[in-house]
Amino acid sequence: MSDRFDVIVVGGGHNGLTAAAVLARKGKRVCVVEREALTGGMARTVDYAPGARGPEIAHLLYNLSPAVAKELKLSLDTRDLPTIALSPDGRHVEIAGGDLRFADGTAHPEAGAFAALHRRLVTFAGVLGQLSDAPPPSLADGLANMASLRDLGGMAKLGLDVKRMGREDMREFLRVILSNAYDLILDDLSDGPVAGALAADAVRGGWSGPRGPGSVFTLLYRMGQGGGAHLPIGGMGAVSSALETAATQAGVTMRCGSGVASVTVEDDRVRGVTLVDGTVLEARAVLSSLGALATMRLAGPAHFDIEATRRLRKMRARGTVAKLNLVLSAAPDMPGLTEAQRAGRLIVAPSATHVETAFNAVKYGRASEAPVLEAVIPSLTDPSLCEGGKHVLSVVAQYAPFEPEGGWTDTARDALRDSIVTTLKPYMPDLETLIESSDLLTPDDIARRTGAPGGHWHHGELSLDQLLTVRPVNGMSRYAFGVEGFYLCGASAHPGGDVTGSPGRNAARKLLADGVPA
Amino acid sequence: MNCSAKTPVPMGLVPGPFHARLEDLSRAKSWMDWAGHISPAVLDTAEFEYFAIRNQATLFDISPMHKYRISGPDALAVVNRLVTRDVRKIGDGRVGYAMWCDEEGMLIDDGTLFRFSATDFRLCCQERMFSWLLDAAWGFDARITDESDSIAAVALQGPTSYSVLKDAGLDVADMKPFDWREVEPGLWISRTGFTGDLGYELWVPREKALPLWDRLWEAGAIWGLRAIGYEALHIARIEAGFIAAGMDFQPVHAATRLHRGRTPIELGFGRMVDFEKGHFNGRRALLRQREGGQRYALVRLDLGGFKPAQDALVYHRKRREVGFVTSGVWSPTTKRNIALAELRAPFGVTRTSDLSAEIYVNEEGRWERRQVPVTIETKPFFANPRARATPPGAF
Repeated sequence: MSDRFDVIVVGGGHNGLTAAAVLARKGKRVCVVEREALTGGMARTVDYAPGARGPEIAHLLYNLSPAVAKELKLSLDTRDLPTIALSPDGRHVEIAGGDLRFADGTAHPEAGAFAALHRRLVTFAGVLGQLSDAPPPSLADGLANMASLRDLGGMAKLGLDVKRMGREDMREFLRVILSNAYDLILDDLSDGPVAGALAADAVRGGWSGPRGPGSVFTLLYRMGQGGGAHLPIGGMGAVSSALETAATQAGVTMRCGSGVASVTVEDDRVRGVTLVDGTVLEARAVLSSLGALATMRLAGPAHFDIEATRRLRKMRARGTVAKLNLVLSAAPDMPGLTEAQRAGRLIVAPSATHVETAFNAVKYGRASEAPVLEAVIPSLTDPSLCEGGKHVLSVVAQYAPFEPEGGWTDTARDALRDSIVTTLKPYMPDLETLIESSDLLTPDDIARRTGAPGGHWHHGELSLDQLLTVRPVNGMSRYAFGVEGFYLCGASAHPGGDVTGSPGRNAARKLLADGVPA
Repeated sequence: MNCSAKTPVPMGLVPGPFHARLEDLSRAKSWMDWAGHISPAVLDTAEFEYFAIRNQATLFDISPMHKYRISGPDALAVVNRLVTRDVRKIGDGRVGYAMWCDEEGMLIDDGTLFRFSATDFRLCCQERMFSWLLDAAWGFDARITDESDSIAAVALQGPTSYSVLKDAGLDVADMKPFDWREVEPGLWISRTGFTGDLGYELWVPREKALPLWDRLWEAGAIWGLRAIGYEALHIARIEAGFIAAGMDFQPVHAATRLHRGRTPIELGFGRMVDFEKGHFNGRRALLRQREGGQRYALVRLDLGGFKPAQDALVYHRKRREVGFVTSGVWSPTTKRNIALAELRAPFGVTRTSDLSAEIYVNEEGRWERRQVPVTIETKPFFANPRARATPPGAF
């Protein structure tokens, strides 16, 4: 029968596609079920308007797992973008790796301090990054079997690598790892746009300000591959397309346009899925890239222990990021920036304190009045996106609540849109006159479009109580999701969000190691 | 201004629905804390009260038990997810003994489950369970109500208990063990109990508690009806082989130390675990234990001598310590020294001989150690056909 598979993957985002490709390359018959007509999830290229294409939600690639890229032989055409820390006084700063200089090319007084800090952070991030490519360590079985020995070996290697950093770095690593980014950054830098850009990177996507504990960890998470931002030619959708191509070439069946309504369970084993349109697909394993709670609900709470459902219910996932996609009639003027700098990753975060202050509003159900922004004009780098001299401006804006006081009314949406445009205005004086159309995605919209719980970047706060062995929740950290043959393969699983492919790859490998149930 | 309150807010224990009568009947003035209620340990003397259980009829206030209503279209699914046995097999108007576990298969509590219908249950147990039941019902169409304070309950136990009910105008001749029904508006009777003898439990709204008591008390006069306290019941329940929370097992939600939990299998109730009914809480962990073997075994012991063996250590070949007594008494009816004891597997499972217990006895200031032989019993120490006869005998 044609609708019988070894494995069904729920959700065709980057993690679902990665998982499917990894499994299919090992000879499994895999079907990916995607609710939308187009795969890609948060990493899609869409039409902002006729003749103007751009990234829908995620707009830069910085954390793709090298293991995923290598195993799936992804060939991605990307451009490295410099980071431009925009300064209200016009003294913008260009950051490229550990290099810091003013946008006009003059030397920055903190260049040395920044280079040292950057080097340390990249070293630390590299050590932590090795945890991303395997399930989080489980020490539950001790020395009982080979698999747990391998886990212990991984832990031992981490310990060894921490030691290998040298005494000074090791001490610093252990000192800062659980601490907050604000203190870490301001130990070495003055509180200006450079500190602001780092602080903004530390908390982007999270329900946290840079003074929040754990924000050093999230900064290191972001810098797992060095922290450099890459712009895929063709938009982020090109990454998803490459993954989809890898999957289909390996024999994966893609099924778009109707989502999974429920997962069928018999005798505590997965038997397949039923789609919203009524189609029944049989399989012996189901991998879900939805949020953890939504994944549980696919099978129904009856198939889970009461503790598991309680923990999944309590997992914190309140998104704070809004996305504004603008079509511009022409490239905006950006005084003080070179052409290459204009095409860079533009950060509006005048200081680390500013980022912390911007976080205040969302705690009380309001959007920041002076939001922290990460903006990019991909059409400057990739002219194929637009026609007729148009350009697209893609802005990630923080902080915006998932459930604002009074709801996301038109007034509230207009106010947020206006505050984003107003925040950009000092750096793009003619911006307002160039806007042809705009599309605002609130966390609520992102949740509805992608299914991400709370519209959260990481499908669940990347906080110390929801990391590693307790991600998504205690007792479910190693992808297996209660029922035999049921696995979680999305961002709510270890290591977390960003376009990495890691949770998808890890989950697929875990299923292969466990064996697809008979 | 005088700020001191005229009637200070009382602290500590609260009187239960039958307390007005118990207070008058108490000669011993021996009260204890049972779930925050003033509860009698003894009203007269434990011996008289115990023999009334086995030879006459007794009233024991069980209102401090926690009572929860689980109702709604998904009530059966919630209860079946909660407990280890298959509740679909309990008929409407029937009661079932039930155990429920945490995700590791460790016993949270045991109790009695009263089935009104597939959409309406009452769970009666020792431990507070409201928040756990709310968690169990999340995602289901079912409502949890705490009836602990609104429902009064009294246990009428002993060979003449049927006769007492009959003379009180409540004919329950056709009720089989574990039946339950509404015999009069607002008065439910179940043929259940904690003594292993003929007996009933009566359930009424709290405000009807005292009239019910008086009605039974009046009818019971010629049947030797006595009110009893916890101590007498304690002897009877060990004779019947019933386990008690906090003694024979540690309710795992209340235990703060690691590894204090025990599974139904380890407590000797493997038959209460139905692996075939679908998922229930702790099923996967219990399945692993069924494959991998139990760690402990709670067993019934017949001990030599007559000194109660409470807390005595149990030895194999008099040298190796393999467990301890969790509940031990001298059984007046069977004239045996009996106990429940927890042994470390394989003792109590495959290795059941060469066991002895070390009992310490204080002989007026001098401690004596007695090593007494121990044999494992598989049946309850006290079992009398009158407990199950339907219709019950008119003793």
